[in-house]
Amino acid sequence: MFRAILFTQWKWARLPLLLGVLAAFGLPLVVVQPLPALFAEDAGASLAIEFMGSFGPMFPLLATVLGLLLAVSAWAADHAGRHVYALSLPLPRWQLVLYRLGSGLTLLALPLLALWFGALLATSMVDLPEGIRAYPTLLGLRFALAALVAFALFFSISAGTARTAGVVLGTIAGLLLAQWVLALVDSDLNLLGTLVEVLFVWPGPLDIFSGRWMLIDV
Amino acid sequence: MSLAIETRELRYRAGKTFELRDLNLRVPQGAIYGYLGPNGSGKTTTIRLLLGLLRPLSGAITVLGQAIPREAPRALARTGYVPERPHLYPSLTVDESLRYHAAFYPDWDQRWADELVARFGLLRTLPLSRLSKGETGKLLLLQALAQTPELLVLDEPTDGLDPVVRREVLTALLDYVAQRDATVFISSHLVHELERICDWVGIMDRGRLVAEMPMQSFKNGIKRLRVRGAPALLGDTPFVVLARHYVEGQAETWIVRGWQAPMTQYFEGIGAGVQEVIDLDLEEGFVELLSTARTAPRGEG
Amino acid sequence: MFEQIDPRSAVPLYAQIAARLKVAIASGELRAGAGLPSVRQLAGQLRINPATVVQAYRDLETEGFVEMRQGAGTFVREVTPDRRTRERDREGRRLIRAMLAEARRVGIGAEELRALLLEELAGGAA
Repeated sequence: MFRAILFTQWKWARLPLLLGVLAAFGLPLVVVQPLPALFAEDAGASLAIEFMGSFGPMFPLLATVLGLLLAVSAWAADHAGRHVYALSLPLPRWQLVLYRLGSGLTLLALPLLALWFGALLATSMVDLPEGIRAYPTLLGLRFALAALVAFALFFSISAGTARTAGVVLGTIAGLLLAQWVLALVDSDLNLLGTLVEVLFVWPGPLDIFSGRWMLIDV
Repeated sequence: MSLAIETRELRYRAGKTFELRDLNLRVPQGAIYGYLGPNGSGKTTTIRLLLGLLRPLSGAITVLGQAIPREAPRALARTGYVPERPHLYPSLTVDESLRYHAAFYPDWDQRWADELVARFGLLRTLPLSRLSKGETGKLLLLQALAQTPELLVLDEPTDGLDPVVRREVLTALLDYVAQRDATVFISSHLVHELERICDWVGIMDRGRLVAEMPMQSFKNGIKRLRVRGAPALLGDTPFVVLARHYVEGQAETWIVRGWQAPMTQYFEGIGAGVQEVIDLDLEEGFVELLSTARTAPRGEG
Repeated sequence: MFEQIDPRSAVPLYAQIAARLKVAIASGELRAGAGLPSVRQLAGQLRINPATVVQAYRDLETEGFVEMRQGAGTFVREVTPDRRTRERDREGRRLIRAMLAEARRVGIGAEELRALLLEELAGGAA
């Protein structure tokens, strides 16, 4: 059963997933391209680190996109058929959800490994000056963790009914609207800012996405 | 008599206008049970309740000895289901869809599936989204049959199919039933089709089961009579009078239920005469039954 | 052989099939030892419930017209000429009764019917 379910999810996600694998593998390679030139200059090291920092947000963004893609594609076909097929199969709902979750995680492993290999390859190609170190495995782990959190989050939303997804989207829209109203009445209360802080700053659950994403650092 | 499907006092409500009430279905094992009713009478809802796709408000459902919805997966492993609208994944090819389906059913018969693919002329590499309506209908039945189920639940399986495909589909179904003693629960509004194959009928109207009996009793019991000289008011009758149509100067037409030949004597007792007893086929009986069930006060039948 | 089987008739399908086979046996259309179509075949061909075919064959077996051999199929038995004549008569009588009932409905009297019948018979001979 697992293989059958894995196959469907592979078929539904394979094209964008392959692009994702390429992007994950290529991103570290692209990032290190200008490094040799930078290191050749005076104060090249700090320039290089600044440059790395500017590329940082690309990593959590990619992780989010991959998590979203695999979570949504796992359930899109069932949503389209109003779950009649899935519910008429002779296995309990929770078991199907576990299989779909497992399949999604298996597929997600592909771009995660690709990024790790890409990072290892990229750092092996560059001679680093004194005081600067490469963190390919750490970056790979961090990327994996971010992708897992994103996948788990979107999976739990899309595994529910259309109503659940509606509630989530409605809440977000409601927040935006409330913020807009607050801005109109010149309130200093920053709902969104507070929310972002609660979610993305440690110990918030989405802390993994923020902060510095550095392949090369001091 | 052991039952493949049984419901007791089943109730379900959807929205404000639709309600299933007091549904007591009894489908004997080995029967081909025709579930008849106009569109919107609750046939599809009943089927979804039987398979555990919907949860009843109250009442009990047993399918193949399993309590639904609690034990639904166990019953579903032995049940082939063809829904009213195709439910399979349209992005998969015929071959992929078969392999996916097979993975869930322990008794899947691959050889027979292959045979049916060939007999139905399905192209294995074609995605389901590109199959014609007839091909989709054939694939749905094929997948249900190759599970080698004990029970087949078919919701309008031939609706919208052309006559050639309809015949192919029905032949494959009967072929299966002839080989294994499967029970078939088939809903349709194509009455003539069911008349050929069913040995039991259940008739639904507006969320209620109006009648449930062996096909032969249904067809034998409902008659159209031509009657002369009957009084306007009747006392007790040995049969149920569903309707009386009176046309000036001609014999009256009665539609009766529970008719038996010796009952002509009753008319002599009231000083009237039966000119003719006319058999009704399933469709006529069905129409008469529904029209009277609707005009008569609740509780008739 | 089964062109006249009518699912809409009030006569049960199994009885129609059994009657048709009896006529075939009585008329010699089906000879002793001939095999009847399998239940699966006939049900598929007529698109009827296999149980209906089984019931028809069982009834014929009870009456001694056929023999159901386990695993092999259903075969026509030797029927005495006497019995075949009886069956033929029975079928003839059934046809006449049907005709009489129709005639009554249309309002054709006995004398008129007799005349018409003789005329038709003479025409058929010519």
